[in-house]
Amino acid sequence: MVFKSKNKNKLEIEHKNNLNDSNMYQDDTVIECRNLNLWYEESQALMDINMKFKRNEVTAIIGPSGCGKSTLLRCLNRMNDVIEGCRIEGEVLFQGENLYSKNADIRLNRKKIGMIFQKPNPFPMSVYDNITYGPKIHKIIDDKILTEITEKNLRRAVLWDEVRDRLDESAMGLSGGQQQRLCIARALAVEPEILLMDEPTASLDPIATQKIEELILELKKQWTMIIVTHNMQQAARISDYTGFMYLGKLIEFGNTEQIFENPNNQLTENYITGRFG
Amino acid sequence: MSTETTFENEVFIEDEDYSYLKKDRDKLIKIILFFIASIATIFVFLIIIFLFVIGGPFFTEVSLTEFLLGTNWLPSHGDFGALPIIVDTLLVTFGAIIIALPLGLMTAIFLAELAPPKLRKVLKFTIEILAGIPSIVFGFFGLVVLNIIIRDLFGLHHGNTWLSGSLILAIMALPTIVSVCEDSIRAVPDYYREASYAMGATKWQTIRKVVIPAGMSGITAALVLGIGRALGETMAMMLVIGNCKVFPEPLTNMFSCVAVITSTIGLGLGPTETGSIEWRSYFALGITLFIMTLMVNTIANVILNRIQRKFTGEKVKEKHVNLKESKIYSQVLKYRILLIALIISVFIAIILPDMISKVVGAIICIGLGLTFQMYTIVPKNQKKWILYGVILLFAGWVLSTWIGIFLTVIVIALIIGTRLIFKRISTVGQEKFWFIIVYLCSSFAVIAVGTLLYYIIANGIPVLIRIPGMEDSYRPNFLTASSMEGGILPAITGTIQLTLGSIAFALPLGMCAGIYLSEYARDNKVTKIIRSGIDNLNGTPSIVFALFGVVLFLVVFGLQKSLIAGMLTLGLMILPTIIRTTEEAVKAIPPSFREGSLALGSSKWQGISKIVLPAALPGIVTGAVLGMGRSAGETAPIMFTAVRTTSRYIITLSIFQPVMALTYHLYRLLTEALFSVEEAAGTALTLLLLVLILYGVAFVIRSRYEKRKQW
Ligand SMILES: Nc1ncnc2c1ncn2[C@@H]1O[C@H](COP(=O)(O)OP(=O)(O)OP(=O)(O)O)[C@@H](O)[C@H]1O
Ligand SMILES: [Mg+2]
Repeated sequence: MVFKSKNKNKLEIEHKNNLNDSNMYQDDTVIECRNLNLWYEESQALMDINMKFKRNEVTAIIGPSGCGKSTLLRCLNRMNDVIEGCRIEGEVLFQGENLYSKNADIRLNRKKIGMIFQKPNPFPMSVYDNITYGPKIHKIIDDKILTEITEKNLRRAVLWDEVRDRLDESAMGLSGGQQQRLCIARALAVEPEILLMDEPTASLDPIATQKIEELILELKKQWTMIIVTHNMQQAARISDYTGFMYLGKLIEFGNTEQIFENPNNQLTENYITGRFG
Repeated sequence: MSTETTFENEVFIEDEDYSYLKKDRDKLIKIILFFIASIATIFVFLIIIFLFVIGGPFFTEVSLTEFLLGTNWLPSHGDFGALPIIVDTLLVTFGAIIIALPLGLMTAIFLAELAPPKLRKVLKFTIEILAGIPSIVFGFFGLVVLNIIIRDLFGLHHGNTWLSGSLILAIMALPTIVSVCEDSIRAVPDYYREASYAMGATKWQTIRKVVIPAGMSGITAALVLGIGRALGETMAMMLVIGNCKVFPEPLTNMFSCVAVITSTIGLGLGPTETGSIEWRSYFALGITLFIMTLMVNTIANVILNRIQRKFTGEKVKEKHVNLKESKIYSQVLKYRILLIALIISVFIAIILPDMISKVVGAIICIGLGLTFQMYTIVPKNQKKWILYGVILLFAGWVLSTWIGIFLTVIVIALIIGTRLIFKRISTVGQEKFWFIIVYLCSSFAVIAVGTLLYYIIANGIPVLIRIPGMEDSYRPNFLTASSMEGGILPAITGTIQLTLGSIAFALPLGMCAGIYLSEYARDNKVTKIIRSGIDNLNGTPSIVFALFGVVLFLVVFGLQKSLIAGMLTLGLMILPTIIRTTEEAVKAIPPSFREGSLALGSSKWQGISKIVLPAALPGIVTGAVLGMGRSAGETAPIMFTAVRTTSRYIITLSIFQPVMALTYHLYRLLTEALFSVEEAAGTALTLLLLVLILYGVAFVIRSRYEKRKQW
């Protein structure tokens, strides 16, 4: 039984790699929103969003508070399903398939599209248990493999050296920045293809923020990332593409440089130059 | 003299005499509060002291080993071996928890995670009210319904068994366990769930692997409350388990007649002569019970601290650093619970009479030890310890009765079956399987409590109200006549008098003590001791308060059985709860309120009385009303101190006369050889209505208050 699950996982990874390769040459788009509309009860939070996210690029989503950034991000791995009274129209295409179609496997898709939250939210368990939670959920039970996974992902998140001696200690004892990197490691442990991050540094101090930013630039080599941020310098520093949202609409979307230096839309310019509201 | 000038800002208070500020009322109030708080605390500690002062001399005549290890309990013959009673107590409690915890936890999961919000609200409210069902009502149900079912189902001579005792205790503990577990599950922040879903976990995986571990402290607390409730239950046990002071034979035979500490005291103390060694032996039992509850609380605190550390990430302080270097020592430390279990099991094997009991007792003990190792051995995949422990526990039963074999087969089949099946079916399939289990458990819990209510109501209503077709049962003057004329009015008035009296005594004392503790007491050793004393008394069985009431009011003050003695005993019983709820309600008011008041130049007491107390009032009132509900539903504390069996008058006006009470009246009815179920049901229904209305009022106040709360 142990072997089976191991093999299955290997197969999955291979399968994924094939997909990666084949897609690489055809189209860079990994995930795409088409005419996406969303309502919470009666109030519309997203209006007709059309957006393409490119492979191995960092896309930043900026905009004033309450404009729907988090909502949009949560649509990309169907986290809005949990919210009552939330209704969605339109499509989100992930590797060409609609996430919201009837026969889409929500859980498999969530596994492939990882998410990091604004407040670091490690489970109140040991560091080891935090990292291995995801793999265990997806049927990896061999202790040796789990230990390998733990090390690998803690290294990916540049946390290994800091916690290698405290794997059995509660994750709640780590500092805020360490916790956030642990959450990133935890998300990476299920081998996602995309990482969604909702203001991943909003609750961290400047030094921890810098570490996370460095990490993001490092992770970019392997993963597609979509980051919501309030911090415009951050968006400018780490992203390749930037989308500006306002009142549930995507106002402007394009190259980060272009958006910041030469925005087409007056609203965007006002927001970026701080002349807003 | 001050005149407010509203139009000109320069002059706010014309008269610049601030001497009123110097009159230092604050200090006086602090002293008064401290004084009252001390009285409350002294009462609280007197209970412990009296218990030992009265019970202590018993051990000068009977040795501790004779008491703890002797196997014969016959006080009238000078046999004071309490071991069978202690063992029975543990067994009955254990059985109750084994049944109630899984059922309660599953029901809580259903309520918190699966039930639609509206259903959840209704059920939750009902469950909280049901926690107030007086234990005598459970005893009634157990005696008249459950025992008969068990007798007929298993073809026994009588239904007074360990099994029925455990079942009744389980049903009794269910509301508490469910509501505490549910609270703790709901308190698990949503971002844990989101993180889990975001990795592709199913709802069940999230519940089992994230929500339950995160809610573990609450679940442990529920377990402790459940154990406490089961250990301390008196009235239902007096009626249901048969009270044979012997070991079950063999030890796992759930069909044997048993006796628990509480029921032994409750049945035995009355007829003995005050001051005799027999009389004292019941206080010795009281001490034993008190220490047992103390141990449960202490162990629970250790576990809760451990869990707490997991949340804060604080490291365990390593003592004996030098010693730890020796490998053997660290191994011993690591496996200490298992070792203790091993030692106890050897002890058990020596003590118990027959061969089967020896083996089974030892095995069960080791099983328990293994199970509890999970709290000390945290590392990666040591969870299997629990599994082995539980299997051993049930294997204990195999060796004895067929119901044991039955249970064991079920458990092993469940464990192996689910493991085998789960490897073949998808995660979603597993989720469905577990949800079905959850639904089954919750419906079972609902059915169990529902049946009880239905029985009481269906039999009680025709007595109180004329229902077409059931006129035979109707008693027109049941609620309005004295007991000489076949009514229960004196019992109703008596219960109301006792309840009001107890709260009139406990509320002022408790409030002052609570305010003192939260606002004035410094965080030093004395305060800590006071707090832990109060906490422990909070979970002390009511029969212990009964013993205290007997000593203080009947012996020390030389009172007769009387209304006043009952009021005070009940008052003392609810005092710790009142202190605690007041303290918590006051503490819940944010410090900014006090600071706001102080910043305007108010005195501390002004801030407390004008700002803090009004804001905390709903919380305090809720606690008080719950306390009244508890007073109204208790039997044990008034059994020896306050009650009489019949009364010609509909109300007793002298507080030095004994009164009738609904609870005790019901008990009397049930112990008569040929009692009328209808009369008992009518009394039980009246009692139930009285208590549940109080509980209902308390929760309505609380929920209103929570809705209004702005901070
Ligand atoms: N669970 C919910 N139920 C109802 N309305 C919601 C919910 N979550 C968000 N909203 C509303 O949807 C709109 C968009 O919210 P969203 O959280 O996506 O904004 P945001 O851009 O992420 O804001 P912030 O920068 O403050 O995080 C807001 O008006 C918000 O009030
Ligand atoms: Mg947001």
